Amino acid sequence: MAVLEKDKMIGLAENAVKTALTIGAAEAEAYVYEGQATNIGIELGQISKTNRIIDRGLGIRITVNKAVGFAYTNIIDDAAAVESVVAKALSAAKASKSDPDWKGLPQKKPYASLEKTFDDKIIEVSSEELVNVAATMLDAAGHVDKRVFPIEGGIGNAYISNAIANSNGISGFDKGTIIECSLATLAKEGGEVTPVCFEFDASRNYKIDPVWVGKEAARLAVSALKTKPAETKSSTIIFTQFALQDLFGYTLINAVKADNVQRNQSPFKDKVGQTVASEKLTIYDDGLFPGGLRTWSFDGEGVPHQKTSIIEEGVLSNFLYDNYSARKEAKESTGNAGRAGYLSTPSIDTTNFHIMPGNKNSDEMLSEVDEGLLVYYLQGAHSSNPVSGEFSVVATPAWKIKKGKIVHCSRGVMLAGNVFELLKNVSVVGSNERQMGQLISPWLQVENVRVIGK
Amino acid sequence: MKDLLAKINNTAVQKFGAQYAEARAQKLFRTMLTLKEMRVEAAKQGIENGVALRVLVNGAWGFASVGSFDNEILEAAVSDACRMAKMASSRLKTPIKLAEAKVVDDRVELKPRKNPVDIQMEEKIKTALTVNQTGLGFDKRIKSCTTDYMDLTGTSLFANSEGTNIEQDKLYVWGRITASAIDEGVFTFSREEIGSTAGYELFDEQAPEVLGEKVAKLAIEQLSAKSPKGGAFPVVLGPNVVGVFVHEAFGHLAEADLALSGGILASNMGKKIGSDLVTFYDDGTIEGSFGTFKYDDEGIETQKTLLIKDGVVSGLMHNRETAQKFRASPTGNARAEDFRVEPIIRMRCTYMAPRDQTFEELVENVKKGYYFKSFRGGQANLDGTFQVGIQEGYEINNGEIGDPVRNASISGNTLETLHKVDAVGKDFLLDPGRCGKGQTAFVSDGGPHIRIKEVVVGGSA
Repeated sequence: MAVLEKDKMIGLAENAVKTALTIGAAEAEAYVYEGQATNIGIELGQISKTNRIIDRGLGIRITVNKAVGFAYTNIIDDAAAVESVVAKALSAAKASKSDPDWKGLPQKKPYASLEKTFDDKIIEVSSEELVNVAATMLDAAGHVDKRVFPIEGGIGNAYISNAIANSNGISGFDKGTIIECSLATLAKEGGEVTPVCFEFDASRNYKIDPVWVGKEAARLAVSALKTKPAETKSSTIIFTQFALQDLFGYTLINAVKADNVQRNQSPFKDKVGQTVASEKLTIYDDGLFPGGLRTWSFDGEGVPHQKTSIIEEGVLSNFLYDNYSARKEAKESTGNAGRAGYLSTPSIDTTNFHIMPGNKNSDEMLSEVDEGLLVYYLQGAHSSNPVSGEFSVVATPAWKIKKGKIVHCSRGVMLAGNVFELLKNVSVVGSNERQMGQLISPWLQVENVRVIGK
Repeated sequence: MKDLLAKINNTAVQKFGAQYAEARAQKLFRTMLTLKEMRVEAAKQGIENGVALRVLVNGAWGFASVGSFDNEILEAAVSDACRMAKMASSRLKTPIKLAEAKVVDDRVELKPRKNPVDIQMEEKIKTALTVNQTGLGFDKRIKSCTTDYMDLTGTSLFANSEGTNIEQDKLYVWGRITASAIDEGVFTFSREEIGSTAGYELFDEQAPEVLGEKVAKLAIEQLSAKSPKGGAFPVVLGPNVVGVFVHEAFGHLAEADLALSGGILASNMGKKIGSDLVTFYDDGTIEGSFGTFKYDDEGIETQKTLLIKDGVVSGLMHNRETAQKFRASPTGNARAEDFRVEPIIRMRCTYMAPRDQTFEELVENVKKGYYFKSFRGGQANLDGTFQVGIQEGYEINNGEIGDPVRNASISGNTLETLHKVDAVGKDFLLDPGRCGKGQTAFVSDGGPHIRIKEVVVGGSA
């Protein structure tokens, strides 16, 4: 894998900043991205496709009279193209409107050194080996039960690097690796089809367990075959990480972003220091979490990543800031400016949103529930009200727990309520934490959730 | 460029023994704006060049994407794709084959009345500011208003090893407006999307002042709305909700790749799965509609595809691979978001055909139920479970539209629910949308007002 070296990446960024200042920018910031990914894909139960993507580009943000302009290009090996994109950012800034709250780009700060975010082995793994790993995962699923049908999945490795430079002297480079295997399955028996069940394993180091993924994806699908209807009532629910990632991603996480707070779009406004959740809940945003899927040394504006306390034993302690929203309150950025590659301007995002684990493992949690539901996956979480936190979703599926045991599966069970009420009703926090996208969390048990059966 | 792509396809076939090769070279230009209240958060413009290469070797696919038109880089990418496909093919049980396709040589030029490229950035910012200003000025309880704007233009040059050569212009204009309101501790949120493949004249049809007011009004109305009661009820759905229902509850299941994946439609071809009133189409030919184009990303001409007629499953949406498996013809549904990704089966403009009833007739027989007018999100599962979140809804009491309700959703099983459609209106409306299936596709959907005898409403009261 031929990748752009550190000096080349930083050089591109610094050069773009220099060009911008020469042609009349008051401030400039350049972000250079490289991503190289290989994927071996499973479709309809067999390995049948491969995929290799090389994506590089540069995004440049410029201000003139406190008006912000941005331009991007993926033609970075051509000096004229880079000059033209810088000119485009300048023209965008000139067309834009002056913002009195603009207090400048961030200042330079030292970066921490990271652990477990880069592994040569992920880059060096051969395509043959990736095909073998995918086959191992498929075989593991097939051995569980004949009724299981693997629909799609695969294994992929990726190398990502980014460089940033701005006119305040920020200059940084970081690189990382990730490997992930996943399998989606369903089970069929007679005319019955289960909802799609899914498992995955992702890591920044070459350490994944394809056999576990295959077995688990198959086990879940089989256990969803025999169903009974659920009753309409208020119930105890254990949410797994899949459900929490979906539900919190569209509600709670919006509420802790400082721009939403400043714009009156968060029920957490004016609530710092107040109890907003069960005292069992402690949440950090930890951009330096060792081996975290979103662990990098700096954010999309070149501000160092950090660990920020969000909720401490139920008490709201802090919001997530980028440089703009922080300066608006005369605060420092928390290093939460996210970027979706070179095509996007920075905007506030979580890094690793870490719900701290408790001390009960999954078996202990299940065994102590007299009557309730175990909810793995949700359907429709993105239709939640992103401001008020009200949700009305379907569990696809839910497993009924009775006297400490899973007794059967139910389909089409709806759950309705408000996330901010739900936070207060968390009664047990598991010890079984794992990472899923931005969320690192154990299972959470919540009391009194409205369940609508059939 | 045409010669370069032919040469690369030739390398795949001659040197690496590919059965099929295609190359898609794209130049894309984008303008994007985000305005929060009266602040221009970012005014953005960008250029992307890239090529997507796809090869079929020994029955397995190889795909490569590079952000370059350089001959050497493309040669290296195609050799990579062929080598990897060959490796993956070692485990194949069922080699992939493609349905026959007509060889096409065509140039599709778009002639918009108002090309977004010719509209100054200042003008676009002014339009978005007007939307936000009207929204914020509508009522003092409106606390925030965000407008996102995007236009995408460019060309896509498609060539395959069978001799097809298509150069096609791309043009999309899109906007999303959201507003939030607060009153006495109640938070509400509303959203509206617009989109067109015609041109910037979209804003002549949808005046910015009207858009701003429409979104603000939705947020304000929800302030006094109550939570609906959960349970099974009769519902009347507006065209905006019908569209997302058709798209989510049925459309995804009629995508042939998902049907093959175990979805419930594969075993129901030619069978009656809905009431006589249910007729659905997926149509890529509606002029100016957000899901419209001439050729898909496998070089197949788009068409109007009948999916279900009078309750009977009549067809699926195909690419060349699934068409071969079903012994059907490709329907022109293979779409790729850009050169970074491979074409997959996507919807275009999916809708329900109207019948003959008035809105009053739909509502008058409902004793206790709901009228759901616009949606917020929806999702489907292969077992036929669908969910559609509701943004704007009202109670129906004894045949009359009553108080507003907020944060409702409907859910059910597609096959059960289509049988319960018991009245279909004579009106018709389409709305633009964006659909996520690993990649984003610009689509539209819609239909008339309809009534469903019984569906589960998720409410917290």
